[in-house]
Amino acid sequence: MSWGPCFFYYHCPECGKKYKYASDMIPVFTDMFGFCPECRIMGVFEKDGARTLDDADYAEAE
Amino acid sequence: MAKKTIITVAATGAWPKKENNPNVPMTPHEIAEDVYDCWKAGAAVAHLHMRDDEGNGTMSADKFRETVQLLHGMHPDCDIVLNLTTSGDLHATDDTRQAHLKELRPEMGSYDCGSMNWLNSSLFLNPPKFLEELGRNMQEWNVKPEIEVFDPGMIANAAYYLKKGVLKAPLHFQMCMGCANGIPGSMKNLVFMKETMEALCPGSTWSCFGVGHCAMEMLYGAVAMGGHIRVGMEDNVMYAKGQLAESNRQFVERAVRVIREFGGEPATPDEAREILGLSR
Repeated sequence: MSWGPCFFYYHCPECGKKYKYASDMIPVFTDMFGFCPECRIMGVFEKDGARTLDDADYAEAE
Repeated sequence: MAKKTIITVAATGAWPKKENNPNVPMTPHEIAEDVYDCWKAGAAVAHLHMRDDEGNGTMSADKFRETVQLLHGMHPDCDIVLNLTTSGDLHATDDTRQAHLKELRPEMGSYDCGSMNWLNSSLFLNPPKFLEELGRNMQEWNVKPEIEVFDPGMIANAAYYLKKGVLKAPLHFQMCMGCANGIPGSMKNLVFMKETMEALCPGSTWSCFGVGHCAMEMLYGAVAMGGHIRVGMEDNVMYAKGQLAESNRQFVERAVRVIREFGGEPATPDEAREILGLSR
């Protein structure tokens, strides 16, 4: 059984953008993990887990 | 002669919903048609989960029975090896996790060789009593375990059960790479998993898959290192960055291309039976 990738879901306190980071990318993003891809500030953490039903509403940070 | 690589399709799993990808098969009919489609594209093994009427993972023997009957009834030409999960619902009992194996006697069934945290919210329990009972039952029912391992410790656990007679050689491992709370998916880790398996359980066969970003790396790695591969929407609903998978067939077709580009050939179901030592 697998459950696909796990994500941390955020929104940006500045621009309101909803985005997510895959948890297996923690070593790649290091201290930038959780930052808004547009504003480069730390986002507001909402939830974490495997793909949620509203997953598509969140842009994946790459 | 070209090396034969077994493609397993994990068509639906217990987690992704239509909201995540409208092409995830959910009903027995959708799953049966999907498996047939993947068989035609080159899959030799189908790893099956079931969903209840709300789309949640279930170990309902009724759903497994209906799906298998639909597949064989609608497509009697389909000789794909069926591998039924024993881990499709975190709340299932030891009995409901095995009842469908006892009744349907598939050629293979999954055997998750240890417990772990499920994401960071629950437990994926495979305690010793369950694993001993399941291993002995699978021998009695002639169901070959596909030993799913999420970290190297689970390989050591398989070696323990092999020595104890709960599992019977040759073993077949499914290395589950990149799952939350399991070993991260990287080539270095895949090599380590393979070497650990060869040291502890020599003579075993193996397959692997990677979830998320490591999916392609694990696919290429398995082909390059002589393993077998698993693809499908249980593990990935995205075909590529920003691109939802159109079907499980799409994943199988890519796997076939990769295998052939490497100079191999996808194994037919009968060739998979020979490789895995399936006796029927």
